[in-house]
Parts: sequence; C-alpha cells; structure tokens
Amino acid sequence: MTAVSLPAARSPRSRRRSRAARRAPVYVLVYAGALLLAAFSFLPVLWAISTAFTKTENLYSTPPQWVPSPVTFEHFSAVLGNPQILRGLLNTVVISVATTVVAIVVGLLGAYGFSRYRFPGRNTLLVSVLFTQLFPRVVVIVPFFITLRHLNLMNTRQGLVLVYLMAVFPIAIFLMKGFFDNIPREIEEAAIMDGASLPRMLLQVVIPMCRPALVAVAMYSFILAWNEFLFALVFTQGADLRPLSVALGFYIDQNGIQWGELMAASLLMSLPAVVVFIAAQRLLIRGLSEGAVKG
Amino acid sequence: MTLASLDRPRGGSVSAARSRRRRIALQKWGPAYVLVLPAMVLILAMMVYPLVQTVVFSFSTVQLPLLTPVFAGLKIFAAVAADPDTLPIALRTLGWIAGTVVIRFVLGFVGALLFNARVRGTVWLRVLVIIPWTLPSVVAANLWRWMLQGDIGVVDQTLRAVGLGALATDWLGDPTFALWAVMLTYSWQGFPFVMLLLLAGLQGIGQDQYEAAALDGARWYQTFRHITLPSLRGLIAIALVLEVVSSINSFDTIMIMTGGGPANATLTFGINIYRTGFSLFDFGKASALSVLLFVAALVVFVVHGTLSRRVARAHGEQSL
Repeated sequence: MTAVSLPAARSPRSRRRSRAARRAPVYVLVYAGALLLAAFSFLPVLWAISTAFTKTENLYSTPPQWVPSPVTFEHFSAVLGNPQILRGLLNTVVISVATTVVAIVVGLLGAYGFSRYRFPGRNTLLVSVLFTQLFPRVVVIVPFFITLRHLNLMNTRQGLVLVYLMAVFPIAIFLMKGFFDNIPREIEEAAIMDGASLPRMLLQVVIPMCRPALVAVAMYSFILAWNEFLFALVFTQGADLRPLSVALGFYIDQNGIQWGELMAASLLMSLPAVVVFIAAQRLLIRGLSEGAVKG
Repeated sequence: MTLASLDRPRGGSVSAARSRRRRIALQKWGPAYVLVLPAMVLILAMMVYPLVQTVVFSFSTVQLPLLTPVFAGLKIFAAVAADPDTLPIALRTLGWIAGTVVIRFVLGFVGALLFNARVRGTVWLRVLVIIPWTLPSVVAANLWRWMLQGDIGVVDQTLRAVGLGALATDWLGDPTFALWAVMLTYSWQGFPFVMLLLLAGLQGIGQDQYEAAALDGARWYQTFRHITLPSLRGLIAIALVLEVVSSINSFDTIMIMTGGGPANATLTFGINIYRTGFSLFDFGKASALSVLLFVAALVVFVVHGTLSRRVARAHGEQSL
C-alpha cells in the first residue's frame, strides 16, 4: 500500500527531507511562539535585575535604560545594611527552618502511622487531614487569629510556625504516605524480628529509605514558609517579628519607595525559591498532581 | 462495637475478656495512635476549634479587646446582605476568578503545546517561562507595581519613547485599569504552573496514537480534538479546580499592588475579609464573610465533584 502507490521511485532520504521541508514553517511558528511567551515571562524579571544594578538617578530615564551604565551595587549594600531587612531575613530563616523541621516530623510519623496501621478512626482522620486543604487561605485568617489569641501565640514566631504547619502538614503526610504505600514492608518486618523497637526502626530503617520524599517535603515546606505573605501580615505586628515578605510588601521610607533597593532585596529574597524550583520542577509537579488526583 | 460483641467468649467473665481485648487492641494499635497524635492535635487545635469559633462569631457581635462573643442571631448575616457593598464585591470577585483562570489556563495550555513540540532550542526558553512561577508573590507584585507606575514606570516610559505617550497613564491608580493590571500580574506569575501540569500530561500521551492518526490522514485539529484533548481531560479538570481555588485564595498580589483601591476597584472578597477584620476590627462581620466564602468554595467543590463524576460515567470511566 505504501511503497507502490508513491509517485516514482523516491529514495527514503529525499522523502524524509521533503517532510522536513514541509514542516519547517511549523517549526518557525512554534519557535516564534515560544520566544514570545518567554519574552512575556522573562522581560519583567530582566527589568528587576536591571533596576537593582542601576543608579537611582538613571532609573527614570526615557527611553528606559535596560543595560545599567554604570553598574552599581549601591542598592545591594543599602539593603544589606538595612537593619529592618536583616531582621526580616533572620525571622524568615528561623520560621522557615522551624516549619520545615516540624513538618517533617509530623508528616513522617503521621504518614507511617496511616500507611502501616489500620486502626479504628483511621479513615475519619485521613479525611480530616485532607479537609484542612479545602479551606481557602483568606477564609482561615479570622479563625486562626481567634485561635492564636486564645493560645496566646499572637505576634510570636511559634504562632506563625503553627499556622504554616497547618498549610504544610497535610501535603507532607500525603506525599510520604504515598511513598510508604509503595515500599514493601518486608525490610521493616525483618527489623522487628531482629528486635528493633519502633523508634529505632524509624530512625535506622524507614528514614534512610524515604529520603526522596523527605527532601520533597522539606523543599515544599521551606519555600512555602519563605514566600508566605498573608499569614505573616495578619499574625505579626511590628518590625521585630515581621518576616522578609512583609518587610518587602511595605518597603517604603520617608522619601517614598526606593525602587532600586526594593528590586535588589527582591532578587535576594527570590534566590532560594528559584533555585529549589528549577532543581525540583519535575518532582514537585508530580507530587502536586498526584495529591490532586487522590484528593 | 457490634462486631466485637458477636465473638464474645462463651465462658469466663465478660469484663475480663473485654479488658484483655482492650489490652490487645492497645498493643496492636497503640503505636499507630502515637504516630498520628501530632497530626490529630493539629487538626483539633487548628481546624476544629477555629471552625467552631468562627461559626459562633458569625452569629455574634464581638467585643474587643478580649473578643467576647455576644449572641446576636442572624443579625450579622442580615447586615452583610443589606450592605450595598456586598453585591459589587461578590460580582467583582467572580469576575476576578473567571478572568485569572481563563488567562492562566489559555497561556498555560498554549505554552504546553508549544514546548511539547520539542523544537530544537526551546528548552532554555522553557526555563525562562517558568521563572515567574518560582518568584515569591511579594516579589512579583512589587515588580509589576514598579513597572506600572505612572510616568516613571518602564511601561509608560516605553510608550513615551515610541511616540505613544498619549496612552501612558497611572495603571494602578486608575479604576478602569487597576483590576486588569492586577489580573495580568497574577496570571503572569501563575500560568507556568498550568503549563507544567499540562506539559507532563502531553508527554504522557503515547506517540503511537499520533502515528496511527497520521497514517489515517488525520489533520492536526482532528488529532488535537480526538487524541490530545480526551487524553488530557483529567489533568485539565485538575488544573481548573486548582486555579479556581488559588484564585479565591489570592490576596498577596492585590494587597501589595493596590490594597483594594483605587475607589474599591480591586476590592475582592478576600481583601474585604482582611479589611473588615484587621482594619475595621469587626470580627463578627469578618467571621460571617469567612463562613460565606467557605460555603461558596464548598459549593464549587461539590459541583465539580458531581460534574466530573457524571462526565466520567458518561464516558464509562472511573471518576478521578
């Protein structure tokens, strides 16, 4: 059916070349489209970078100056010498690390319990873990505010960690539970046969096995806490406890907004998230879509 | 309970058997309860308790500074319903959700199709496209606020430089443009997520299907309609739901760029909850608004669940 009906006797190579020629305009079109999309996405980022390295007096020129001349580091040094920004950075680091550590502990224990035991109340509890994810974030600020007030945790780092934990631990549990469900129990059974206690087995057998899931949970929790703005805004007051996100959200002094400094600080704040996301794109997407399918 | 009572041992005292059974149960399940205890405490303290409190508050006038609720029946909800601002805010929020979801989805889908074609030299472009999604929302909002500044922003400066200075305006200060500007920012940051999600789906479609279609002489739009779309149906549903949820949740971008202004042009439901509770300190009303928004979100989930089940059944497949 194929070779016979083809006009004349064309060599396979020329046939391939003609198909390539036919598809060339499509390639050009696709490339142009991708280029356009990339420009839409990346030009603003480029502008942020450019602004951060441009002297203040050159910031407002017409036409806009995309390549700073001269390149200046004055905005970065101003930001790194700004006590409020440094304070915010410290708060953010402390809160993100604490959230990550606690989320891993709660997630690991919970996931292991849910995966390996069929105890009464298990399903109800699992559904309630998922249920917490249904709440729109703007809906929970009032409930969380009331609760933190009653727990005397308003305006504390611990309170903020507790709130972030609520955002993170369901994902942590489901990610790691999915992981445990897929690894056979034989190794653990062997460990129990050898007389290992539960805590020892968790530490020496389970944790080493689930390292990929742990890394995913850690990255997710850290970035969420690092970037979060709404909860930080509502549950902390005053410059002492405010994380970097809130400090940057309202970055203004008596001379108005210093855009060069703001962009320099923004670049610094973006670094961890950009690095982690680009490194772990695939992992995160898989986790998110699987979680969604199961939900 | 009933099952357990069936296999009650014949001889011996009932209570001894029960305590033995309890001991065995504890041995068997005790560790499980210890393991899930932290999660349980979190749910009780940070979900059940807040939920109850908020419902109580929404039926109360709340007195500061101790947040003492005084029962007021449906007075708060009635006040919300009678407030002339409520309807415009609700409609604006619906518009915001529809607008951002559509823009994000269209850009994301187009991006996924473009990068799925695997044209040489587009891999690095894909990385560039993803970068906005990785930025903290605070950074994205501030960046666009800077670009859209009246006169000094790069958008106005560029317009002026190419002779379109008449179009230059204070984008965020003008009620006609502010909502669109914020929507654009929000979608700019969010569409790469849709793109990555759908791209993963596209790459999972078997190449043999396309080859078979090509052999049968199918046009590109036929392949798209009969192979690509059906294969992606599940992921598209997921993407849409996730985007609706994230759109309801959106706060940071609006708060930083406009704070709900100018002249309430960007005042959405979420911003309104924040403003009512934490600028006006009216916790009764803020609670009532939260309850309303939560019910609305719940309706979205239920409707989506029912619809997707019906669609799945119509196609003779398992629901997601």
